[in-house]
Amino acid sequence: MSAQRRIGEPILVVEDVSLSFGGVRALANVSFDVREHEIRAIIGPNGAGKSSMLNVINGVYHPQTGTVTYRGVKRHRVHPHEAARQGIARTFQNIALFKGMTVLDNIMTGRNLKTRTSFLEQAIWIGRARREELEQRRKVEEVIDFLEIQHVRKTPVGRLPYGLQKRVELARALAAEPDLLLLDEPMAGMNIEEKQDMCRFVLSVNEEYGTTIVLIEHDMGVVMDLSDRVVVLDYGKLLADGTPDAVRANQAVIDAYLGVKH
Amino acid sequence: MLYREAGQFKATYAEDQQIFPIRQDRIAITALLLVAFLVIPFVASDYWLKAILIPFLIFSLAALGLNILTGYAGQLSLGTAGFMAVGAFAAYNFELRVEWMPILVSWALGGLAAALVGIVFGLPSLRIKGFYLAVATLAAQFFIVWALTKFPWFSNYSSSGVITTGKTEIFGYVFDSPREKYLLVLAIVVLMALAAKNMVRSETGRAWMAVRDMDVAAEVVGIRMMHTKLLAFAVSSFYCGVAGALYAYAYIGTVEPEGFNLDLSFRILFMIIIGGVGSILGSFLGAGFIILFPIFLNSYADPIAHALGIDLPPGMTSNLELMIFGALIIFFLAVEPHGLARLWQIGKEKLRLWPFPH
Ligand SMILES: Nc1ncnc2c1ncn2[C@@H]1O[C@H](COP(=O)(O)OP(=O)(O)OP(=O)(O)O)[C@@H](O)[C@H]1O
Ligand SMILES: [Mg+2]
Repeated sequence: MSAQRRIGEPILVVEDVSLSFGGVRALANVSFDVREHEIRAIIGPNGAGKSSMLNVINGVYHPQTGTVTYRGVKRHRVHPHEAARQGIARTFQNIALFKGMTVLDNIMTGRNLKTRTSFLEQAIWIGRARREELEQRRKVEEVIDFLEIQHVRKTPVGRLPYGLQKRVELARALAAEPDLLLLDEPMAGMNIEEKQDMCRFVLSVNEEYGTTIVLIEHDMGVVMDLSDRVVVLDYGKLLADGTPDAVRANQAVIDAYLGVKH
Repeated sequence: MLYREAGQFKATYAEDQQIFPIRQDRIAITALLLVAFLVIPFVASDYWLKAILIPFLIFSLAALGLNILTGYAGQLSLGTAGFMAVGAFAAYNFELRVEWMPILVSWALGGLAAALVGIVFGLPSLRIKGFYLAVATLAAQFFIVWALTKFPWFSNYSSSGVITTGKTEIFGYVFDSPREKYLLVLAIVVLMALAAKNMVRSETGRAWMAVRDMDVAAEVVGIRMMHTKLLAFAVSSFYCGVAGALYAYAYIGTVEPEGFNLDLSFRILFMIIIGGVGSILGSFLGAGFIILFPIFLNSYADPIAHALGIDLPPGMTSNLELMIFGALIIFFLAVEPHGLARLWQIGKEKLRLWPFPH
């Protein structure tokens, strides 16, 4: 794969992360890394801890033990808005759009960290605040064009069909121009056509902007097509880690997916 | 002229991001402002200016303040009147104690004092939401009125805490007549409404709405919860504080802390529920409705009942008022949470398609 050539050093290193909710062990001593510019898939059966892993990476959950090192900075606890500041953006498994706002405004919030003007300048509007707002709008329109959602720009997100909502959520994440993009089942519940579109978008984000992507996906075909390397989780534990082909051939993985008892 | 968007192509994002992208709306709002500034002051009677239009503007401003907090940032507050009281009493004390201070500055400082108090009472919002936050703001409401009554310094040791505001003099010009006061209040309210509109259509407003709609996702896109919520409390309380100062100076003249009681907070809450939660226009529609409706009922309920052959028992109109308000509030809460402003918008959308609905 051509992408392979430009893949760089690890920018995200997860070390020995464990996370429990009461008695439930969502993650148990998980370690893996993500290299710059790669597409890294996380797969595993339901409840394996995939979403929890993303939540740990961008600070929605704080692991009980273990560390996450991002761009050489090791941290134990990070807040989601700090993770965003460091260039990490994401989408959610259950769409987390701002229901009362239009598509355009939702995507514009993705650029909030690029805003330099204060609320007072914005209240007065003329001058710097207005220029900045236009500049943000221009950037957002690029994302809108890229994801082909021009026709729903002014629609309140709640009125959109599911597939389009997923796309708008991706747009909001892309508007932030992230270095690391976390996608939690971006194609779940989509029909074939929508899935193909989404695959195309994910690939071109990676190729055109060089964005590093961590992707949770159940559809093995998609995973095989898109990802450079795959992490397999099962009951919170790391089951396998390697190229798509190696992982597919791994006996433990086959057993887990076929439901063989541990 | 038909109400149409067709043929008005927006070539630039700047045009698309105007407050009123449709030309007919721009014409309408310009006309409305011209009438408000140039016609009303000369045709409206003193009674209308003093008893209806000035309070309408002041309550619109307070409702706008509450709407910023509750409608845009999603933080329910029952402390509106308390923040107005802070504005009124702070402005009074600045005017009283700092002789050289221009009156507009003391009103602004009244607003700022309210903003500070708003921030303090907004702190619980970092931990609690919804019903519990409403209770915390209720505490603010009671505490403020209590403190203003309890410490006579605030009212300059007047009996029973009543303050009487001085004259409104700006650059040597005394705003004395209802007409002058109306124009002054109108100018302030228009400017502040414009500033509010600008805030809610920029990053500030989007952050408020994001926090309102889904706080986890807001943090994930990089919005700082504390900063955003406290800013909403500050800006909202500033608006309420200025409204309180205007209430004291341009409307009532003589106020006591009890004048800013929980009843008033609820009245303003009802204004935004009826007018439209999360709408600048709605703040004005709601204030207009709540102020005008009782007047309308008082003058027309009996004649209408007569015409229908019914005799209303004495005192019935005020009961009728309560009943209709109650019904309306339930209607808007249950059926149309975006209030009159939304109904107005739906009407416009219909009109845009009229006369060919398909
Ligand atoms: N906030 C939470 N509170 C309590 N338990 C949780 C929470 N989040 C996750 N869990 C539990 O942690 C385990 C892992 O959940 P997680 O959502 O990470 O799985 P997943 O691999 O994403 O599953 P799916 O494929 O169904 O999305 C599950 O048992 C889940 O019930
Ligand atoms: Mg999941």
